[in-house]
Amino acid sequence: MSSGRPNTTVKIGGLVLKNPVMTASGTFGYGEEYSSYVDLNRLGAVVVKGISLEPRRGNPPPRIMETTGGMLNAIGLQNVGVKAFIADKLPWLRQFDTKVIVNIFGETLEEYGRVAAALTGVRGIHALEVNISCPNVQKGGHVFGCDPDVSGDVTRVVRSATDLPVIVKLSPNVSDITEIARACEAAGADALSLINTLLGMSIDVERRIPHLRNVTGGLSGPVVKPVALRMVWNTAKAVSIPVVGIGGIMEAGDALEFLIAGAKAVQVGTANFVNPHVTMEIIDGIEEYLLRHGMGDVNELIGSLKTD
Amino acid sequence: MFTKDDLKAEILSNVEVAPSHYLMALAVSRVFRDARPGQFVMLRPAGRGVPFLGRPLGIYSLADHGDGARIEILYRAAGRGTQVISTLCEGERMEILGPLGNRFEFPPGMDTAVLVAGGIGIAPLVFLARQLSCRSEGVRVVVYLGARDAETLLGVDRVKVCSAEVRLCTDDGSMGYRGPVTDLFREDLGSFDAAKTAVFVCGPNPMLRRMSEIVADRPIFCQVLMEERMACGMGACLGCTIEVQTRKGVQYRQVCTDGPVFDIREIVWR
Repeated sequence: MSSGRPNTTVKIGGLVLKNPVMTASGTFGYGEEYSSYVDLNRLGAVVVKGISLEPRRGNPPPRIMETTGGMLNAIGLQNVGVKAFIADKLPWLRQFDTKVIVNIFGETLEEYGRVAAALTGVRGIHALEVNISCPNVQKGGHVFGCDPDVSGDVTRVVRSATDLPVIVKLSPNVSDITEIARACEAAGADALSLINTLLGMSIDVERRIPHLRNVTGGLSGPVVKPVALRMVWNTAKAVSIPVVGIGGIMEAGDALEFLIAGAKAVQVGTANFVNPHVTMEIIDGIEEYLLRHGMGDVNELIGSLKTD
Repeated sequence: MFTKDDLKAEILSNVEVAPSHYLMALAVSRVFRDARPGQFVMLRPAGRGVPFLGRPLGIYSLADHGDGARIEILYRAAGRGTQVISTLCEGERMEILGPLGNRFEFPPGMDTAVLVAGGIGIAPLVFLARQLSCRSEGVRVVVYLGARDAETLLGVDRVKVCSAEVRLCTDDGSMGYRGPVTDLFREDLGSFDAAKTAVFVCGPNPMLRRMSEIVADRPIFCQVLMEERMACGMGACLGCTIEVQTRKGVQYRQVCTDGPVFDIREIVWR
């Protein structure tokens, strides 16, 4: 092993990250909120809150509810819209030496293409992450990401609208995530990120109403990690493109599990709410692990799970 | 930049002061010396994972403490999270985020501050009473406090020490006026000069709603402290949304960053 610090650089479909730690969309705002806790220059990447063509105000409250080991959210994809993002939020992010990945979504296939195009060629944006876990308003509200053909269609539309690296974020609320994964790979995705939130609900027994105004919401936090890990492991074996692992990562050990299972990088989401410093601790922890195990390069770890 | 130490707190004491009501004192970092009435902290036990999310709790008092600060939280063990917090002992560690949120404001020309508290809503208003009593231009401070019974009338000695005029109410009449605090306030409202009086309100939602109805058609400055379930406490998750009435119609606001202090007339009550 060469002297000095281990190499933590990873490559995700044309994107070169200084380390495998990113923040998950919807958990880090547009970056400013955490700037007094986190040195954004140290992050591998920031994935900003999902952006749509037009601004969205999101769902009526109550929007969140704690569960054992996690939380439910039905924020409703509130965002400032692509124009305001580029004009008001992106300039601030540009000052940092971190990759900026913009999460996008649409209500129709066409909208996905238009948002992707609007973000292409804009200085300071390094990749797009495509959220396919939302309802297709044109097709009876069926979630794009629950059908392999439709998932492929979305990927294809975004692929032809942009030359930026395209990462498709998969929904776990499907029978076989590897089917969706393969469809997106075939349609031109540069990488995949998984998992998005699991569908869940919670009930106020005294008032006999749901805790969320939306009734159902997305479950996240440590409680989902075993599900996410299994899906990452399966998906990494099913496709050749890089996989980014997301789901309940609270500390370096959790991140390492995903890397060992085959993820090239990880996203840290809900953990930011309970410990704003968590991303920095995870970056340090991964380095410490590599040093302790005499590994000079984080890439030695990726997909190194021994099973027989 | 907030350091790791700014996110740590140590319990100095955690005492039950009335059934299910607790007073906790915490040693915290010097960043809390900037805390002002209206602000809150996100608090959870260190290293336990339960409750998963921090709990938003108003700051009851603030003092310097060594190199850092000492804050107090007066809280009710109302749900899962606060029940766990109520079991913690002196010397135990907490994870803390703060000071968070905006603060109570004083309109120009204010010579009277009326603080109206329902139950545990007294907590942030005690901090406010203390701040008001320290102002050089003497402000008359009147505190209305209502609770279920005499036992749950909390913070009374603290506000008396701030030279406030205190008017107490209990639902069962075991102390003071018998009836809701909003009724007593309403009776006295005419005696205040609306142009020079500011009203500050904190308590359970039905009480806040009743207060908004009382001041609705009076030109009197009135701020309310709102509460909502929170995850991050700092404006990132967009979970703690409430609705407010604006000139452009009903809009959403985040209690943790746009609040928790709001103009009472803005609030769209659920």
